[in-house]
Amino acid sequence: MKLLNEIWRSIVRRDPLSTDKGKSELVFLNVWLHIHPAKVKKEHMKFRHTYYLGFITFFLFLILVTTGIALMCYYRPYPSQAYQDMKDLQFVVFLGPFLRGMHRWAAHGMVICVFLHMCRVFYTASYKKPRQFNWVVGVVLLLLTLGLSFTGYLLPWDQLAYWAITVGTNIGSYAPMVGGQLRELLLGGHSVGEGALIRFYVLHVAVLPAAMILLTIVHFWRVRKDGGLSRPIWTLKRKPAEQLVTIGAPAAVEPLRTVPASSSKTYGLMEVVTGEPIFETISPEEEDDAVFAYPFAFFREGLALMVTVTTVMAVSLLFRAPLEEMANPARTPNPAKAPWYFLGLQELVSHSALLGGVVAPTVMVLALLAIPYIDRNLSRRPGDRKWAIWLFTGFAIVNLVLIIIGTFFRGPGWAFVPPWVHVVPGAE
Amino acid sequence: MGRRLPQIFFLLSLLALGLLLAALWQASTPGWKDYQHAFFQLEAQGEPNAVTKAAVLATPPEIHQIMLPGLQRVDRCTTCHLGVDDPTMKNAPEPFRYHQGLGPHVASKFGCTICHGGQGLATTVKDAHGDVQFWETPLLAREYIRASCGRCHKEGDVPGVPELTEGRQLFEANGCHGCHKLNGVGGSIGPDLSEEGASHRSPEWLLHHFLAPSQVSPGSVMPNYHFTPQQARSLTYYMLSLTNQDMGTYYSSLRLIPSAAFGRELFVEKNCIACHSIGGVGAKAGPDLLGVTKRHSLEWLDEQLVNPDQVYPGSSMPQYDLETNQRKALVAFMEAATTLDAQAILEHREHLLTPEDAAIEAGKRDFARFGCAGCHGTELQGGLPNPNAQGGQVPSLLHLADDYTKEEVLAVVRDGRTPPLDNAKGQAPPLYMPAWKQVLSDEDIHQLVEFLWSRQKKAKDSW
Repeated sequence: MKLLNEIWRSIVRRDPLSTDKGKSELVFLNVWLHIHPAKVKKEHMKFRHTYYLGFITFFLFLILVTTGIALMCYYRPYPSQAYQDMKDLQFVVFLGPFLRGMHRWAAHGMVICVFLHMCRVFYTASYKKPRQFNWVVGVVLLLLTLGLSFTGYLLPWDQLAYWAITVGTNIGSYAPMVGGQLRELLLGGHSVGEGALIRFYVLHVAVLPAAMILLTIVHFWRVRKDGGLSRPIWTLKRKPAEQLVTIGAPAAVEPLRTVPASSSKTYGLMEVVTGEPIFETISPEEEDDAVFAYPFAFFREGLALMVTVTTVMAVSLLFRAPLEEMANPARTPNPAKAPWYFLGLQELVSHSALLGGVVAPTVMVLALLAIPYIDRNLSRRPGDRKWAIWLFTGFAIVNLVLIIIGTFFRGPGWAFVPPWVHVVPGAE
Repeated sequence: MGRRLPQIFFLLSLLALGLLLAALWQASTPGWKDYQHAFFQLEAQGEPNAVTKAAVLATPPEIHQIMLPGLQRVDRCTTCHLGVDDPTMKNAPEPFRYHQGLGPHVASKFGCTICHGGQGLATTVKDAHGDVQFWETPLLAREYIRASCGRCHKEGDVPGVPELTEGRQLFEANGCHGCHKLNGVGGSIGPDLSEEGASHRSPEWLLHHFLAPSQVSPGSVMPNYHFTPQQARSLTYYMLSLTNQDMGTYYSSLRLIPSAAFGRELFVEKNCIACHSIGGVGAKAGPDLLGVTKRHSLEWLDEQLVNPDQVYPGSSMPQYDLETNQRKALVAFMEAATTLDAQAILEHREHLLTPEDAAIEAGKRDFARFGCAGCHGTELQGGLPNPNAQGGQVPSLLHLADDYTKEEVLAVVRDGRTPPLDNAKGQAPPLYMPAWKQVLSDEDIHQLVEFLWSRQKKAKDSW
């Protein structure tokens, strides 16, 4: 018993969680948890402000990595085998349909949550100084998410996959000069074939996840360094807009106070710096609002995790991931549609290839990247930034409407067909 | 709220655990296990012994599958249809009933979907029978299954399926090629029909289409040929049989069917042309084989292939260890063979046929039959260790012609010899060439030497 106790103490070296010291040590003695501050302000955890969308996106990513690794054990990225492996997953592999379902639904969920997270960050103006660059990192993460979803789309090698990727890569090929060559580089040939499959596979299981993980680390690190999760401080501090410059970078009023070394605190070896910090700090009057991360923040995160996991599990139990006929380059479905999140672009392409294939995506990405640098308005109060909110809402709605039209209102020959009208297929 | 967080977290964790258990339960109770259990009970009924009964009932459930690598098919139908190959299940209820009348088309080698359609990879009733979206070839209705015979039997009359013959004739007679491409030949006004059998068209669709094309396919330019229902049915059969896949070749390669094609392969493989001719083309050492199936009964030919010496005393034809269906295949080939076949076979030989070929072939047989290969190697390469013999090993026979004449070799085979010693004072080497004159006739030995000479490596090749 004593030995067991000793072993336990060697693993968990913090004080009991009933003490404040234990609560702090839980965070900063643990490599995985110490991205959190030991104490967080209550309004960081306000659900109605962040909706925990960043967490949910991250948890979906974790689900995708876990189920993805399991799926890799059963998948061979070669046309004739890939489709059969899908069928084997469906019919023979223990838990195969469940695993594949979780991967598929979590992937769609992640695309949606990344987008919603971006909207939330915009509406709460959380991209303003000092967080401008973290917004840029976030936009790249959004693109990586789309890339992961798109590359994963091809892997089942069914008709849905084959034609979605054919259409999707065609959209990209409208870019002047380099478009065709880019498409060829991505596909490893002129059309979707075994070369494309292995390239998409490598991108999907190695290149993009690695980039995703590295950038996620940067994203999280900067959130922490920029003063933690976004919080609606404009409602807390009734001060004129110009004094609320950013999420909390200290207004240039008071210099940093120095505190005499205390015998009740332990100090690590640190450099003493003078000058203003670039990041948010807890001002003395806010100290009272702060609580320990354990249990308050951790259980909320845990709750977000469990809600995410149970939702994905429940959906996967109820709905099977789709699998159509084996890819057949000789038979084009009518209409052939790109993955749903690119259907807005495809809809535009149907009107003008240049607009949908080149102008719209380029402008959209550049505009998103530039938002924190274009928006010079210092205030975060919604009332002070009506123009920005209107513009962004317009952008989001146009995107949404185009995607909905492309998904539900386009039939054979890209003709306008409402979803309640049934088109008899195969009339030749 | 803050105080209840741990409770809510705990409840949600329980929910997640419950969902996981539900998934595990769903995964571990597939429908096919119930079918297997029912089958084992059926089997156990017939077992008189309580121990074997218990053993049968305790059989662990597992997925059965028939792999057809050449056709990229895997049929898991036998996971539930467990009695297909078991004649004792003749009167068992479905899905366990024995499949009668398959002839050589045993399910374990041919699979099921090749004739019946359906989704072989699937392991649930609905999916397996192809009665689902995104599976193009659902189970064929009983009356159309025979159409599948035409997938392998692409030419000639197929016994029991007159519809196929009629369908093919109608296709030719009505000039369907004019609009439709079939295996690369034909017009392109209508759709290519080469893969029609694997397409998503149902037999009912095809049937209606032949009777009234424009009714089923509005705007179709295909004229109405006013086929009778019987003719439409035959054409439907033909359409259902169309496939690009060379299934016949794959199944022939399994060497299960005593087809003429398989017989031809054997004819080439066993080098029959070295002794026999067909219609005067080939070697003359043995009888000409043109019309041999008319001169002799099938039984006689079969027996001759088993044991040439007994049927035809003094026959110099060597004994080949042929299996039943191989002998049948050879007979089938001989029945169909013409001088054209013989010419084609001769043209594909590595070297020209010479009068010595018959002797060489017989020598080759004897070389294998009398165990010469045991010491000299299957490729005549020698090399078996033989201490104190010159060179320390059994000599290679690939360079005999450099050092010996045929007569000298004949003498060595006939009388045997002890190899020259490496060390004159040492022990005699354990291996030596025995005398073969008691076993082999002079003619046999002559044939052996001819065989050896046919395999000599020229000096310049030895490098």
